[in-house]
Amino acid sequence: MLLSVILGLLLLSPAPVVQDTLKAATISSTAGSLIVPQRITSRELESASGLTEAIRRFAGVQVRDYGGIGGLKTVNVRSLGSEHTGVFIDGIQVDNAQNMQVDLGRFGTDDIRGVSLFSGQKVSPLQSAKEYSSASSLYLESAAPVFREGSRNNHIVSLGVGSFGTWTPRYSWEHLFKGGTMMRIGGEAVSTEGKYRFHVKDYRTYPDETIAGYDTTMVRQNGDLRSVRLDARLYSPFSAEGLWNIHAHFYDSVRGLPGPVYKRAGDYPLSQDRQNDMDAFLQGRYSRSLGRIWSVSGRAKYSFSHLEYVDFPELRPELSSAHFNYRNHSAYISGSAMARLGTRFRLNLAQDFQYDYLDADLMDFAFPGRFSSWSCVSGVYSSGPFEVSGTALFLEVRDFFLSGGERHQARRDVVMPSIVARWKPSDKFSLNGFAKRSYRMPTFNDLYYTTVGSKTLDPEDALQFDLGAVWTPVASGRHSLNLRADIYRNYLKNKIIAVSTSNQFRWSMYNLGKVAVLGSDVTADYACKVGKGSFGTVLRYTFQQSLDKTPSTLRQAQDGAGSGTVDIKWNGQIPYIPLHSGSANLFGELSGWRADVTMFVTGERFTTSANLPAYRLAPWTILDASLAKSLSLKNGELNLKLCLNNILDEQYEIIDNYPMPGINLILKVEYSF
Amino acid sequence: MNKCALLVFSMAVVAIAAGCSKDETTSRDADLAGVNVAVGEKNGPFKKLFVLNEGNFQKNNSTLDFFRFSDGNYVSDAFGSMNPAVVQGLGDTGNDLCLFAGRLWAAMNASGVIQVMDANDETLLASIPVPDPRYLAFSGLNVFVSSYAGAVYGGEETKGKVYRISLDTFKTDAEVEVGCQPEGLAVSAGTLFVANSGGYNYVHDNTVSVIDLKSFKVTRTVPVASNLRLMVADDNGGVWVSSYGESTWTQDAGGNWIQSMSEPMGLYHVTSSFAVQQAKDVHVSCMTKCDDGFIYTIGNAAELTGGYDNTLYKVSAKDGSVVSKSFSGTDASAIGNPYGICVNPKNGDIYIADADYTGPGKVWCFTKDLQKKWVAVAGMLPAHMVLY
Repeated sequence: MLLSVILGLLLLSPAPVVQDTLKAATISSTAGSLIVPQRITSRELESASGLTEAIRRFAGVQVRDYGGIGGLKTVNVRSLGSEHTGVFIDGIQVDNAQNMQVDLGRFGTDDIRGVSLFSGQKVSPLQSAKEYSSASSLYLESAAPVFREGSRNNHIVSLGVGSFGTWTPRYSWEHLFKGGTMMRIGGEAVSTEGKYRFHVKDYRTYPDETIAGYDTTMVRQNGDLRSVRLDARLYSPFSAEGLWNIHAHFYDSVRGLPGPVYKRAGDYPLSQDRQNDMDAFLQGRYSRSLGRIWSVSGRAKYSFSHLEYVDFPELRPELSSAHFNYRNHSAYISGSAMARLGTRFRLNLAQDFQYDYLDADLMDFAFPGRFSSWSCVSGVYSSGPFEVSGTALFLEVRDFFLSGGERHQARRDVVMPSIVARWKPSDKFSLNGFAKRSYRMPTFNDLYYTTVGSKTLDPEDALQFDLGAVWTPVASGRHSLNLRADIYRNYLKNKIIAVSTSNQFRWSMYNLGKVAVLGSDVTADYACKVGKGSFGTVLRYTFQQSLDKTPSTLRQAQDGAGSGTVDIKWNGQIPYIPLHSGSANLFGELSGWRADVTMFVTGERFTTSANLPAYRLAPWTILDASLAKSLSLKNGELNLKLCLNNILDEQYEIIDNYPMPGINLILKVEYSF
Repeated sequence: MNKCALLVFSMAVVAIAAGCSKDETTSRDADLAGVNVAVGEKNGPFKKLFVLNEGNFQKNNSTLDFFRFSDGNYVSDAFGSMNPAVVQGLGDTGNDLCLFAGRLWAAMNASGVIQVMDANDETLLASIPVPDPRYLAFSGLNVFVSSYAGAVYGGEETKGKVYRISLDTFKTDAEVEVGCQPEGLAVSAGTLFVANSGGYNYVHDNTVSVIDLKSFKVTRTVPVASNLRLMVADDNGGVWVSSYGESTWTQDAGGNWIQSMSEPMGLYHVTSSFAVQQAKDVHVSCMTKCDDGFIYTIGNAAELTGGYDNTLYKVSAKDGSVVSKSFSGTDASAIGNPYGICVNPKNGDIYIADADYTGPGKVWCFTKDLQKKWVAVAGMLPAHMVLY
């Protein structure tokens, strides 16, 4: 990410690049992008207790959180589903052909300097073809280390201690080699018991206005997690002709799956299921300029993940447990080239290939493989205040699977066009818009959940239209105010859903789902410097009307009778998407002290598109706060941080029957030298 | 064994105070508001049609509804309204509902409990823990419950059990091991028959276990058909049992994979002398035995070819003669997914539960000629109905 920016700056700036520009570049990695993304800055990341807590500040985003430190956390942008959101680490996608869900809970915030969210189309120099393909993209950006004058080493050691019996020790070492190559290696361990109290309650009001019900406190069980994360990164010298970086990542965890909370008789336990994960990847990228017109970039990645799921016969411990093992291999390579043709036109060509393979020890498993090729042509034309970009992306997918002892093939090819335009009459104001059609392929789970692969399942089809404005009415030295608003219309077609077939006990996946979204994201960001201190606020609001347009049964769809007139779900708000949601952040900084308070508000949601009271999930409001202090010691710097989450002790659920923790705290001590 | 959810603190359990001061002949649930769906029938033999909504697995949203004949109102979540202080309500995945001696018995599969209610006002009388309860049957002073008994999918082959509950103590007092993943069971002339599905096994079970009620031991295991499910008694000491069917995948001319049924969801007769006979061309996705001496089933007549032709079958429990009527061309063609059936022996009305897996289902009432009388919005996956 950083490198592409630096390179972008190198290529875009007619003047010789000086060291200051490079330093500036490490702060913002979104330069050169046609559409300005929403950004979570390093300040906001540092004040949040984790990556998920930071990401849920974004407008237009719903974070699905199953609760607790080990609970799955995925991100859904503009009601399109988490599979439509690409998550990128330093410009290379983190993906998983099995279910296309990226668990944000597995990434630390320590190496990450910023998070950017591109709704629609990211257009920046030397993009890979895959970067054009997601409906939305979330970029986790690291940065090259910064060394003090005359120093070649940085050491950071930290320990976090918190509620639920949580311990997070971490160490990282940054080193500057003689030739200017930089390295960061580090590791973090997380250990938590994951036990927390929650309320199970239900009150009902009777016609005569009596109220009756129950309110019971229980303790979340089997939510423990032990994980270790090791990271190693190498960054090329700034002065190098070609810029490169290499990133190796290893994650290993064992955890309990506490499962949903439901009634269990007597001593029968809730879930005792266990999940063990191992994820590892090695990725790298290289980019360089070839004279005045051309520049090129290459990326490669190999990743492996092993998921072991263990299901205990909870009531008959004498029986052996059921083990399911999944091993996912993925190899990726990409090449892109950019040409500056004259002063007004920029051409980007990119070609990516990927191979995914899933191995599992299930009976009659399909052992699916997928070969994907993304070919992309993109152009950016600018003239005065106008800038317009058009992209055509061709994705060819060949799926291979085993059925009845024979190898079969299925092809799924799609074309994804997009157009992005910006009018920027001054530095203070811009109007932008985009239209984009993108597809997400059926996952291996979608295709091979039943024993034989489905050839007929098509990719999900997302069509997005967006119009937005960015206005900076005040940008003096002391005050700055940024306003941003987008309205959008999304159509999701061919949504993959499970439908019972002609025999109600046999299910198949069909492209039957349809959703129409009307939404708006609004952000206001104000900051002010007073003397040695500064303070400010960030307000974010999201409106999302996401209506279900799915015919109620397969038969109705096939007969063309799915008009929905008698269907209670027709035109209902889709599950788990609130009509209104938002966050408000207030921060202040003075002589080494930093304070931050964030309030999150989410309106009512429903667990089904039938928006009846019985299926309503209550709205929730939570308040998180953090206080941090930096102390300069003789040999280094000591940072102390206290995060208090859910101060109001709100009892809430994001996913039905998965209670979230009440008030909790994390204390972190970090020493860097 | 760990305790699943430690009860730390319980507060504010407010008893329902009002609504009880009616005269003695009126049920305490008479005040429950409902949605009017039909004209009331004052002088019919039945007060209520109870509907157990299975709910989604592990969503804890199984509910008990009823249709009240006197005013034609459909009352949702009557159990919750009448038992507001019962923590987590009725429970998870109601798999069977029976009426016995003025009490409603509901087998809550995922909760591992049998809920016993007063049929008059739905108040909870007892909660009896039974692991993985599936279906219920009665004889004399006992209730019998089939149980998967802690088996897990993908684990080793595990035999299921039948538990015996004493009506004196509301406790299980005996158990017997049967085939794998037992489902329906029925008492016929002093003998208990149990349908074994083997649904968790790679090769399904295909047997009916026969249990002598006196010794409570399996005396015989009769091979019938693969993947057995629902069971009702005939009137001659035998039973009728249905199968979930078997499916295979085949490739059509265009290379598309199509899942098709190789064995239908058929109906089989096991006689008192353990002879097995398949009812001809009867498909069963849901089944009920009515006091009029007939077994009613609904099945998809086109299931073997992958089409849709939901059909009502009326099978004589005595001689096995079959009368069928397709839904198409009748009001019942509006049904999406027939998931449960109940028949009124007095007037022949047919109640059909229509399930939608991702939203609330419906309960339909038809005349015996499948003319619609009324329809009501039910809870999640309405499935099991009894007349009271």
